[in-house]
Amino acid sequence: MTGLEARADMIVCEGVKKWFGDFQALRGIDMTVEEREVVVVLGPSGSGKSTLIRCINRLEVHQEGRIIVDGVELTNDLRNIEKIRSEVGMVFQQFNLFPHLTIMDNITLAPIWVRKKPREEAETLAMELLDRVGIPEQADKYPGQLSGGQQQRVAIARALAMEPRVMLFDEPTSALDPEMIKEVLDVMKELAQTGMTMIVVTHEMGFAREVADRIIFMESGEIVEEGTPEHFFTNPTEDRTKLFLSQIL
Amino acid sequence: MDEKREQMDWVAAVEVAGEKPPEVPPHGPVVWARENLFSSVGSGILTAAGLLVALVFFKAMLGYIFGADRKWDAVATNLRLYFTQAYPDDQYVRVWVAVGIALALTGLSAAIWRASGRVNGYKLGGWSFGVAGGLLTMLVLSPFSWGARLIYLILALVFVGTGQYLRMSHPKIEVPALSVVVGVLAVLVGSLWVVPYGRHTFVNGEVQPPRPGTVAMTTKLPWTVMLLVMVVAYFVGKAVRDKVSPGLSKGLLVAGWMLLVPFDYFVILRDPALDYGQVFRVDVPIFLFFAVVGSALLWWLSDPERGEIGRVVAGLMVIGAGVFWLAAAFGLSVRQIIRIDLLLLSVVAVAAPTFTGEKAVRRRFILGWLILLALVNYMAMMVNTDSTVEVPGSFPLGGFSLTLLVATSVLLMSFPIGLILALGRTSKMPIFRLLSTTYIEVIRGVPLITILIFFKIILNLFLPDGMSLGNEMSAILGYALFSAAYLAENVRGGLQSIRKGQYEAANALGMSTAQTTSFIVLPQALRAVVPPLVGGVIATFKETSLLFIIGLFDFLRIGYVVVGGQTAFVGSQRENLLFVAFIYWIITFSISRSSVQLEKKLGLGER
Repeated sequence: MTGLEARADMIVCEGVKKWFGDFQALRGIDMTVEEREVVVVLGPSGSGKSTLIRCINRLEVHQEGRIIVDGVELTNDLRNIEKIRSEVGMVFQQFNLFPHLTIMDNITLAPIWVRKKPREEAETLAMELLDRVGIPEQADKYPGQLSGGQQQRVAIARALAMEPRVMLFDEPTSALDPEMIKEVLDVMKELAQTGMTMIVVTHEMGFAREVADRIIFMESGEIVEEGTPEHFFTNPTEDRTKLFLSQIL
Repeated sequence: MDEKREQMDWVAAVEVAGEKPPEVPPHGPVVWARENLFSSVGSGILTAAGLLVALVFFKAMLGYIFGADRKWDAVATNLRLYFTQAYPDDQYVRVWVAVGIALALTGLSAAIWRASGRVNGYKLGGWSFGVAGGLLTMLVLSPFSWGARLIYLILALVFVGTGQYLRMSHPKIEVPALSVVVGVLAVLVGSLWVVPYGRHTFVNGEVQPPRPGTVAMTTKLPWTVMLLVMVVAYFVGKAVRDKVSPGLSKGLLVAGWMLLVPFDYFVILRDPALDYGQVFRVDVPIFLFFAVVGSALLWWLSDPERGEIGRVVAGLMVIGAGVFWLAAAFGLSVRQIIRIDLLLLSVVAVAAPTFTGEKAVRRRFILGWLILLALVNYMAMMVNTDSTVEVPGSFPLGGFSLTLLVATSVLLMSFPIGLILALGRTSKMPIFRLLSTTYIEVIRGVPLITILIFFKIILNLFLPDGMSLGNEMSAILGYALFSAAYLAENVRGGLQSIRKGQYEAANALGMSTAQTTSFIVLPQALRAVVPPLVGGVIATFKETSLLFIIGLFDFLRIGYVVVGGQTAFVGSQRENLLFVAFIYWIITFSISRSSVQLEKKLGLGER
């Protein structure tokens, strides 16, 4: 995956700090994600991984430092935030589908009202995406009638329907039964192969090893170590990384 | 996909393995009674005691209602007074037109929303047994003559026979629930033509002695037509529902229901005396001006290229319209409708950026504006035209029709106000939160009757010169503002039940606050609070009887004071009150039943 051509920076974080009350969740994050790069963020729970990617589309507001997405800096300007949000897709641990809307409406709502697409066009795109995530036959059902794995695939399709430049995954398989994890990871792998820029917070080491271009290891709100999967899993330099890996593997 | 196929094979394998038919658990009335009524000594005693209390209660109740000394003539003779007070005979067809429009909407709605509930023969048989049981109880406990008892016995046996036949021979057949309802209504209406209920009338204010025979033509003919209107509307709806888009037809029907009350009252029942010279000289030009200028402005504002300047213009217009309203207080006299249209245009202008997009989208937006403008101008014109209905008081309606008008108008007005208050109270902006919270807490701290009296006495002092609201209208306004506060609290409960993830998902998709609220939050919040909302509807309907206290001729006053005061029917006060209570109960019970249906229907999308 490491092409030699120069790639533009898609996401740049410089000294990002974030507090919840007195608790400091992020202690100065410096990170750059290039176009078409797949970055997996690992770390024990409470290490600030989720907070970091939630800051990138402003679901959380960072107090210090700069976050620049596709050349646009995140500020309090509402225009900027809505623009960035519609270019950054997000998939949540709890799926967060809209339970009162059919799968089709879940996927087409934002393209129609935010992207101002004609309904027919939005529905055609939605069917293509449902095909791609392997559940075209579920279009007229409600989220509650689907299994967890299917719901998460719909959530991915919903995010993709906005034709985002970046996809953020916040522990997408943590709320799933074991037998459904693979179907979601397969969709994510396919997405990575098409060249989507992705930041994935996960505990799936197999996925990290196979798909990631780069792994970032976080603890206590700091980036402890980063590198290729090979370096990270076979030859980590930091003690904290070694400790983490010994607990997990 | 393979996993799924494997799973299905597995299910099929289990079904093949289970060749032995499942055993039937013990069942039947004896088993049921043993399990539910006499499962232990204690529950047996409680069952017997409960049965005894019910027997004594119903015996007393039925003995009272059907006692020989009851004078139901007071109710029978005054039915028209009860429902429409002194609405004039020569314009009475307007009442039926008003009712007919409502029933036509009912029929259409049943077809468009595909009221497809079905009842099987077993259940129908059960209902039949239930009716038979009721008839037998009446027959045993009521002080009937032996002739009447015989008729009840025969009827009960017919129902038992029907129930038994349905349960034994056709337990599986299914009939649409709608046809059962219409069938029962048809039997009731049909009975007007054959059963000698007797004819009770006034002639020139004199009570006539009741004559035998069926009811008057002026009763049975309209009711028959009403039933037919409803059925025909259903079939019309059924015929067109596949030819029009469901979104459009449902939207039109919802709009129809919302407009029903003002249209029925202001246009049909008030019989306004339109001055067409005035209409063409003043009203039409004003409408045309706003139609042309407003459409051009909105077309310009909804251009996707417009950007920030559009919002600035819309914001300035809102401020301008507000100042224009305030200027009225300082003597700037201008036609009210111009102020209303200007405010309407500025509010729609604020919404314009939400509706940008393709030319077709913008054209629909403009069309929506024109329809809204036409409706508002038409209704304002009708409201400002005097009524030609001549009644003793100042208000054309009284009795049940007034109660219904007040209840429905209050609900229609309090719903949007309540929504805005609930959203304000949960808003992130402190000023909205403060205003809404203050309003809700102040209103909830004051008794309804105080507010009603306050509005009756004080409201007209605050209105500009030459404008006055009648007692009825100020009561509606006061009551609506009151019940909006309660409704807001119910809706707030729903808003709080929405999980944070829903907001986050909508935000992450780039949806604006307005879009998130109207597409994601409110639909779910309202679903969650259907039971308390229906409770509120029932309470609002019943508490319209407080209008009695401020002197309006509502249903209760007609029964208690007007009919109760007729010299021909001295001493029939208890009958009057029983009748009033019974009608209130019928309405509230039907609301409560339909809410159960609604909850079932909404439950489907929830899971």
